[in-house]
Amino acid sequence: MAAWELLKDQNFRLDGRKPTELRRIETRLGVFPNADGSAYLEQGNTKVLATVYGPHEVKGGRGRSNPDKAVINCQFSKSAFSSSERKTHMKFGRNSSETNQHLVQALNAAVMSHLYARCQIDVYVEIVQSDGSDFCACLNASTLALIDAGIALKDIVTCCSATIVDEKSVVDVNYVEESSGSAVLIVGLLPKDEQIAYMQMKGRLHADHLEKLLDCAVEGCRNINNILKERIGEHLKTHSSHFTLTRPATPGRAERSRPAIA
Amino acid sequence: MDKDSIFIPGDIICPADNNYISGNGTVTRKNTIYASIAGKCNFQKIEDGKTVVEIRLKNSHNQNIVPTIDCLVAARITNVNPRFCKCAIISVDDVLLPESFRGLIRKEDARATEKDKVELYKSFRPGDIILARVLSLGDAQAYLLTTAENELGVVSATSESGETMIPISWCEMQCPKTLAKENRKVARVHKDYIINSLVTEAE
Repeated sequence: MAAWELLKDQNFRLDGRKPTELRRIETRLGVFPNADGSAYLEQGNTKVLATVYGPHEVKGGRGRSNPDKAVINCQFSKSAFSSSERKTHMKFGRNSSETNQHLVQALNAAVMSHLYARCQIDVYVEIVQSDGSDFCACLNASTLALIDAGIALKDIVTCCSATIVDEKSVVDVNYVEESSGSAVLIVGLLPKDEQIAYMQMKGRLHADHLEKLLDCAVEGCRNINNILKERIGEHLKTHSSHFTLTRPATPGRAERSRPAIA
Repeated sequence: MDKDSIFIPGDIICPADNNYISGNGTVTRKNTIYASIAGKCNFQKIEDGKTVVEIRLKNSHNQNIVPTIDCLVAARITNVNPRFCKCAIISVDDVLLPESFRGLIRKEDARATEKDKVELYKSFRPGDIILARVLSLGDAQAYLLTTAENELGVVSATSESGETMIPISWCEMQCPKTLAKENRKVARVHKDYIINSLVTEAE
């Protein structure tokens, strides 16, 4: 079978996008009333649900508690009906524990975890429908859920993927592009400081292409960041009636003098 | 500064100079105050002409506050033994916690004077509501609390007959029904030490 023609004439991709065009992003915040924070995110046909519980006391083993900062616990899962073939994905398998660790790493860069010493923050992510860039959607949804939970963040960490098709870098890859065999670069970015919180490369790539690909992914992250910011703003505006401003202001907890622990 | 504008984590609020102090929900980095949570910003003048910049969450029940050293907490005693008593921290600095944290008061932290003569069961009983201060983050299991101040100690306790008792001295409370006296390390109520969220909850 001939390979898919991923980039057609006039540089249109299979799903009709231009190389630097993102898929449509839909978000909803606060989808579960029982969780401390939750978010639903669609990136094209990739649909993800994320919930956040915490900060609460560390559960499951006393040894896990950290006296200086919060412990972030991520659990990634993929529903059986998420891909074209029905398949139960192992919840504690090697793949998902790897993804868990990656999510923790990326979120640790953004969460101001020193504010929640000796606490635990649980993040549960579920892929409802999978169409490429699953990790990116998961990380973006987790960030939204953390914001909904009101957990202090340094910056919004956004994630975007990029790959090379016919010597051209394309952003926000979908399933067909992802499975074409060329290298996929995933970047999680803290846009304010231009810091890379997470980077992953799947597949082999010529070093000459790396810079171009990285730029492409970083630009995608910035664009996603702008979209997410807009959506959060809209969400807060429609829910602004809940704001209560009755408590007197107190200087921040970080500003207080902390006696050294003997 | 537009009062109603909404801030998102990472947004710049204002420069951190002598006039602005970063409050809850904000962070100071590189002489700039940034937002660390999403919400509306609140500027409040305090005594010396400075302004506290603060971002608040949608509702006060979800402040995501955890006990830190030196903060005032309210707790319910759950367990008393001769060396220490355990309690569940239910509120921190005016904010009611969605779920409790474990706290621990050692015998020598129960009161300020005659520390070696403290008998814990004469100071606290399970079910008492106390005001305490966080001494240290303690070990992995519990926060270490102290009630060694006149204003700290038991604020609400029920007698053996189930009535809410009335404090009669710093170390005794009396049941209004049976007039029986019970020993407690009673807190002297002071306006700076009242936790508003608990008061409104009780009402």
